[in-house]
Amino acid sequence: MRWGVALGVAPAGAVALLSTGVALLSERSPTRLVLERAWAPPSLALPLGASEGGIDVLAALSHGTARGLALALVVVLVGFLVGTPLGAAAGMAGGARATALARACDLVQSFPSFLLALAVLAAVRSPGRLHIGLVFCVTSWAPFARLALLQATVLRGASFVEAARALGASRPRVLLGHVLPNLLGPVAVQGGSAAAAVVLGEAALGFLGLGPRDGVSLGALLEQGTAGMLRAPHVLAASALAVAGVSGSLQLASESLRRWVGGPVDPLE
Amino acid sequence: MGALRLIGTRLGMALLTMWLLSSAVFLSLRLLPGDPAALVLGELAEEQERAALRAKLHLDQPLARQYAIFARGVVTGDLGPSLRQPGVAALDRVKEALPPTARLAGAAVGLGALGGLAAALLSAGPWLGRGRRRVELAVIALGATPLLALAPVATYLLAVRWRLVPLPGDPASGAGGLLFAAGLLALPLGAQVARIGRAALLELGRAQFLAVARAKGAGPLRVWILHALPVASAPVVAVVATQLGALLGGAVVLERLFERPGLGTLILEAYGSRDLPVLEAAVVASGGLFVVTQTAAAVVHAAIDPRVRSS
Repeated sequence: MRWGVALGVAPAGAVALLSTGVALLSERSPTRLVLERAWAPPSLALPLGASEGGIDVLAALSHGTARGLALALVVVLVGFLVGTPLGAAAGMAGGARATALARACDLVQSFPSFLLALAVLAAVRSPGRLHIGLVFCVTSWAPFARLALLQATVLRGASFVEAARALGASRPRVLLGHVLPNLLGPVAVQGGSAAAAVVLGEAALGFLGLGPRDGVSLGALLEQGTAGMLRAPHVLAASALAVAGVSGSLQLASESLRRWVGGPVDPLE
Repeated sequence: MGALRLIGTRLGMALLTMWLLSSAVFLSLRLLPGDPAALVLGELAEEQERAALRAKLHLDQPLARQYAIFARGVVTGDLGPSLRQPGVAALDRVKEALPPTARLAGAAVGLGALGGLAAALLSAGPWLGRGRRRVELAVIALGATPLLALAPVATYLLAVRWRLVPLPGDPASGAGGLLFAAGLLALPLGAQVARIGRAALLELGRAQFLAVARAKGAGPLRVWILHALPVASAPVVAVVATQLGALLGGAVVLERLFERPGLGTLILEAYGSRDLPVLEAAVVASGGLFVVTQTAAAVVHAAIDPRVRSS
């Protein structure tokens, strides 16, 4: 069982290590233009070839992946830190407060957040990762809050919680000392699929030309690959595989951790 | 009573979503740092020109008054004329762009629901034997593949390299092009429908009323399609409702990929040229399309599945 979990998490770890390793350690620049090697096919010097303007695809890919993952990490952390206590507290309180939070999660999770991102980014002169991250943070707490709510509602009736109450523990103490530690695992494993959604969202914005202004994004590379698919299919193949690989490995890690820790599935996922 | 209450709740949520979305559009253009007039005209524009534009967009008035004008515009559908095509109302440009997107999304929902239900039947029913596992694996693989990565590659291979399907961006491609684009958009949706539908069918396989139907001499085809499928289609409607946001985002990506006209193309064009009234109108209209479909799906869900009404 442990080996299965390790196998499920390994691809995501490899993606993160490889992309940050290449981005930090190699001298390759993801933005340097060398016009004479535009759309060059893969070779020894350029393992994945070059794209529009002679940009090194390997460098663009590793920097784009690393920055996308860093953005996802921040957004997911914010969502986790805001959503989990909110859901746990509402679940412990029960009644109208729990219903209100569940409704709010319904609303946020079915919100056309892509439209929201378009509207907000349109108002900024040159959108950067900060703006994109802020827009994602508006909605990223909801899945965590929903799962924490589900778990806390179950834990509220658990005998050890009842025992703690019977021994005279105060409400905050029950929440922080008994309920929260027991729901952190099941809620945290949601992080992988949440991160996959952020990576895909950032890539989609980059593909549409709404990505970060420095142009270092998996989506921007995918857009170049699409525009140059006749001349240089290797750019399209590399960037599409990267997008699918990053999001797929994160989802796989999330799913295998969830099976290991055990926990509910978000009904809206 | 239950049904009425449910419809009331859904309508309330729909209105709340519309209010939040349009307010976000309004506020982000006015509260974020930067002068929208400078955004539209560029840094080098004369102060006089900027002042004229600010007056035209009511940006020189207090925020509350601006919001009142905007809210009235949303309700009456008049958000002012387009900045880039003077004389054309923003709403008219939206009306022009709405049908292609609605056709694309509608065809995708139809294809995704039908294909997903067929895959669910094949992977849960008795016909395929060992092939059932293969259908299930294919569904999982499709569900894990992002449309953003799949669509350009499929277009390159199927439409450009092998020329099996027409390019959907070509105005002459007609129904074939629409079908290809909608088929791509339907894949993630269909995979989700197949997954949920299969789970619902497997649960139903143990239900008593199916045993009764079997005992009365109904063949497997009759049992599954006539008795099980209508019950299993209820969760499928719910899946479609939750996937609408992703569907809308996917439609924008595909319109950009194929350079097809539509709401997504209009939003991106208005964004690129800073045509603020058109951008506001297009985002609000897309939100409206989304909310109407979502509410309709929720009501249909309640109509099919009596368990939703009573809970």
